[in-house]
Amino acid sequence: MSHVDEGPLHAYLDGELPSAERTALESHLADCATCRANLAEERALRERAVALFGSTRPAERPAPPFDQLRREPKRSPWRVRRSFAWAASIAVALGLGYYMRSPNSYMRSSSPRPAAQTPAQPVAIAQPPAPATAETKSAPGTRNAARPANKLARVTPTAEASGAAADTMRVDANMVSGAVAAERDRAAAPAPNLYVDGAPRRQLTTTWPVITRRAAKSILGEEPVGLPDLAARTFRRVPGTDSTIVVEQVLDSSTVIQIFQRPAGGAYPYDSSTLGAADQGRSRPRGYAREEQSRSNRLFARFVRGLRVEITGPLSADSLNRLLDQVAPLPPLP
Amino acid sequence: MPDDIAEVYRSTYPALVRFLYRKVWDAERAEDLAQEAFARALVHRPENTRGWLFVVAANMARDEARRAAREKRHLTLLKSEPDAVHATPEEDIDTATRITHVRAALDELTPRDREALLLWDAGMSYDEIATQTGLARGAIGTTLARARRRLVEAYDAGLEGGRHVARG
Repeated sequence: MSHVDEGPLHAYLDGELPSAERTALESHLADCATCRANLAEERALRERAVALFGSTRPAERPAPPFDQLRREPKRSPWRVRRSFAWAASIAVALGLGYYMRSPNSYMRSSSPRPAAQTPAQPVAIAQPPAPATAETKSAPGTRNAARPANKLARVTPTAEASGAAADTMRVDANMVSGAVAAERDRAAAPAPNLYVDGAPRRQLTTTWPVITRRAAKSILGEEPVGLPDLAARTFRRVPGTDSTIVVEQVLDSSTVIQIFQRPAGGAYPYDSSTLGAADQGRSRPRGYAREEQSRSNRLFARFVRGLRVEITGPLSADSLNRLLDQVAPLPPLP
Repeated sequence: MPDDIAEVYRSTYPALVRFLYRKVWDAERAEDLAQEAFARALVHRPENTRGWLFVVAANMARDEARRAAREKRHLTLLKSEPDAVHATPEEDIDTATRITHVRAALDELTPRDREALLLWDAGMSYDEIATQTGLARGAIGTTLARARRRLVEAYDAGLEGGRHVARG
């Protein structure tokens, strides 16, 4: 096999190389230092291009309600603007309702901390005395694999967070449904000490490109993971990284959890400034740092086969950790 | 059987706005056009809603650009932006300046290369990009590779130019 052109290398990096060619390319890469070097170069180029491109995102605003479009096919810009105003008023109303209902507001108001507080020493997670059932349930291997997760999930223990805990648990018990209903009882036991706020995260990630299940598998190199019994999944590609994808799953109508996953060998994608640049044009280093911190407050991680998996969502830390324990490779497509 | 447009709306609206923004460079206008495209889809009920939307959106953006060019002929669009670029790392350049430079760099690409980049960013697969652009599927990787390289090179060259102006 002669050296590989840039086209197939980019297709490979994009997760779009057909599997036969992918296998051939990978075996060639194993033997060819030149192509490995080329691949590294193209990877860096691709990341820079993605970051540059991502830095020109418009400020994201919520889409107007679909029903409004249906009722009133628009012909003039004036009408479009009016419908948007209508949408905005709905968004405000929803936002207000959410604010009043949800203890999230605590964390949201306290999340933009000065970048100076960011240093990356893992703050020991003040884990509540874990319920014995959770310990005994997991196989020892799983337990070990989950260790790095605890290090990763940093928490700044704030009074607000623990204050929010009691309310949170009540909501969680209702939110977790279907296949994870068994978690309900355990979730109701000890109060979590960390409130995990998924809302800001969701705002960012819902703009990330939706991909097919097949493409997700191709990017990861194996079946994506998720909670196997939950339907309604969306797969997204994380812009600015090589091979991180997100699986979104719906617990109930108001609760979406997101499961981030990437091959375990790669660079930690959230350390990369390119991702920050790709998100809504946050191009200042200060912005990265803040983003980084608020992110690490809500991510929990473990390894599943060859994947490093993180979970986030509008649930308590406790519930998220338990859901994370149940994450497994999704059944192969027929 | 036409797609469920509500579902496409939910999944595609932000991507379509982004796609349009990189063409008209006005966030509100991009939103207007995206909504207009969906409204038209409701009337036309195309088979492949997503693909259809991007074609219609691209056409609307092109018409928009022509109209803007007629109305604003007296303005030199890009050169009116002062090059306030200092000899600083990329991160220190503020967002507006960066957008100006990326926009200028994108303008250096051929229309087809630019379109491929925009469609990839909108979340389209190689198959979809091939359908949209009329390129062979096997050519998409090469097209994107070239487009990315030119984008980065043109951007860097733009920064160099800016520095030169700032120093001189």
